[in-house]
Amino acid sequence: MTVNNMADPRRPNKIFRYKPPNTETNPTLEDPTPDYMNLLGMVFSMCGLMLKLKWCAWIAVYCSFISFANSRSSEDTKQMMSSFMLSISAVVMSYLQNPQPMSPPW
Amino acid sequence: MALFHCVVRLSTVRGRYNDDFDDGEDIAEFDDNDFAEFEDVSEDPAVDVEKEPPPRAAPSSTPIEDDEDEATVENEDGQDEFEDADAQDQDMYSKYDNEEFEGYEKTNPSFKNTLIYREVPAHLQNSWESYYMEILMVTGLLAYIMNYIIGKNKNSRLAQAWFNSHRELLESNFALVGDDGTSKEATSTGKLNQENEHIYNLWCSGRVCCEGMLIQLKFLKRQDLLNVLARMMRPACDQVQVKVTLNDEDMDTFVFAVGSRKAMARLQKEMQDLSEFCGDKPKSGAKYGVPESLSILSEMGEVTDGVMDNKMVHYLTSHADKIESIHFSDQFSGPKVMQEEGQPLKLPETKKTLLFTFNVPGMGNTSPKDMDSLLPLMNMVIYSIDKVKKLRLNREGKQKADRNRARVEENFLKQTHTQRQEAAQTRREEKKRAEKERIMNEEDPDRQRRLEEAAQRREQKKLEKKQMKMKQIKVKAM
Repeated sequence: MTVNNMADPRRPNKIFRYKPPNTETNPTLEDPTPDYMNLLGMVFSMCGLMLKLKWCAWIAVYCSFISFANSRSSEDTKQMMSSFMLSISAVVMSYLQNPQPMSPPW
Repeated sequence: MALFHCVVRLSTVRGRYNDDFDDGEDIAEFDDNDFAEFEDVSEDPAVDVEKEPPPRAAPSSTPIEDDEDEATVENEDGQDEFEDADAQDQDMYSKYDNEEFEGYEKTNPSFKNTLIYREVPAHLQNSWESYYMEILMVTGLLAYIMNYIIGKNKNSRLAQAWFNSHRELLESNFALVGDDGTSKEATSTGKLNQENEHIYNLWCSGRVCCEGMLIQLKFLKRQDLLNVLARMMRPACDQVQVKVTLNDEDMDTFVFAVGSRKAMARLQKEMQDLSEFCGDKPKSGAKYGVPESLSILSEMGEVTDGVMDNKMVHYLTSHADKIESIHFSDQFSGPKVMQEEGQPLKLPETKKTLLFTFNVPGMGNTSPKDMDSLLPLMNMVIYSIDKVKKLRLNREGKQKADRNRARVEENFLKQTHTQRQEAAQTRREEKKRAEKERIMNEEDPDRQRRLEEAAQRREQKKLEKKQMKMKQIKVKAM
């Protein structure tokens, strides 16, 4: 080590505070996955509700889970919860309207 | 007349009979209709009507009665009218008068198989088996949740292990270890800042030779099952990124990078400063005593010689597998940003920075123990900070560096020159148009004339100014 054991490299007077990097100027740093998944989830749940497609509603549930897993801690929990609730309600409504089990595509 | 009535009734009955036979029913069950004429008139229609829609079991009782009636009647008739009454009786019982049923095929007992059994809808059945797709979906969701919890915990343990092994080194070098920027006073939080389930930050500050150091633990997305599955196809590894920001006096003007060949090729294309200042292709590290797998990008040879001293070479050689890239730059401004069309370009802000990217060994299957192997790399970081402070270019090198920077700035201005000119031109044109509009809109002709004259005078003045300038330049040139 080149650090002299006698001299302490620490300088309490030279402390700078942490500034979170500005992501507006550098959009490449941000991971777009949670936003895309959120949007996809909403689209699928609306499809499932309007067109009464069960598989759409299930995919919406998955999308909202994936969005939650990838989200940043600074992100609004209300957004997450709302998309989650929407997808769950899409599934429930699809089954209430048509209690038949889902048929596989094959 | 009675006979006529009987015949009519027989024919109508036959009509109904025919309908029954359209369903393919057994002839025997409608025996009674043959002898409807021998029953009470009032009963017949009711009985016959009843028999048609309902279940076929019902007529079985009445034919027996009729047969009995029939039996008594037949005997009388047979004895009276026919000689071989027995034979005729047998015929009556066993065979049907074929004339009556012309055109109808004799049905066979297999009619029973044509009963259609309607399936009970699946959701009304008392079995869960029909809901197997739903069960699959729920199982998938549960698997996702399980993976989320396991992945989150693993990442958290890895981060904690890293911090525990590096804490001492950091606390001995920095006055402030751990800050999230929100608290009023600058006190060490002493713990990592969790940005995500897979990204952890640590800000250290308060040291000679640097402004601060941001360490980012970029783990794999173990909490996302999709990512886990994708990584089975394309293996990736956890990364530790260290970014040291320096004050102006802490570093001389140079740009340098060393790292794996792939990383160097990628960085040369992506990074603004590397693409501008290090135009040559990455050189193999073997020339400087470093493994072949590493390559070097440098602004000038002197810089490489200055940075690659023995200790540095030793560090690079012993940990070559863990080093992704090392980037020293006084013109660091991040990756190239895509500029929008028509926007006046400004020189991107630069900051003197040292960037280190390390790969955690294990290629994804890391255990907390592997974090200890990164400690020597952190030592290298500290060593580099001190070294860069001491590294100074000689006069030639400095001149070269200054020329390079001036060249880059000029190029930038040239590129944007046309754009800036266009922008200024459009602004001027807009001003003129606005003025003209104002003049046109002026209703009072007098005021119009006055405004027009004023505009003309202003233009003349501008022209004169320009002419004066040109004359001055010409005189100076001479």
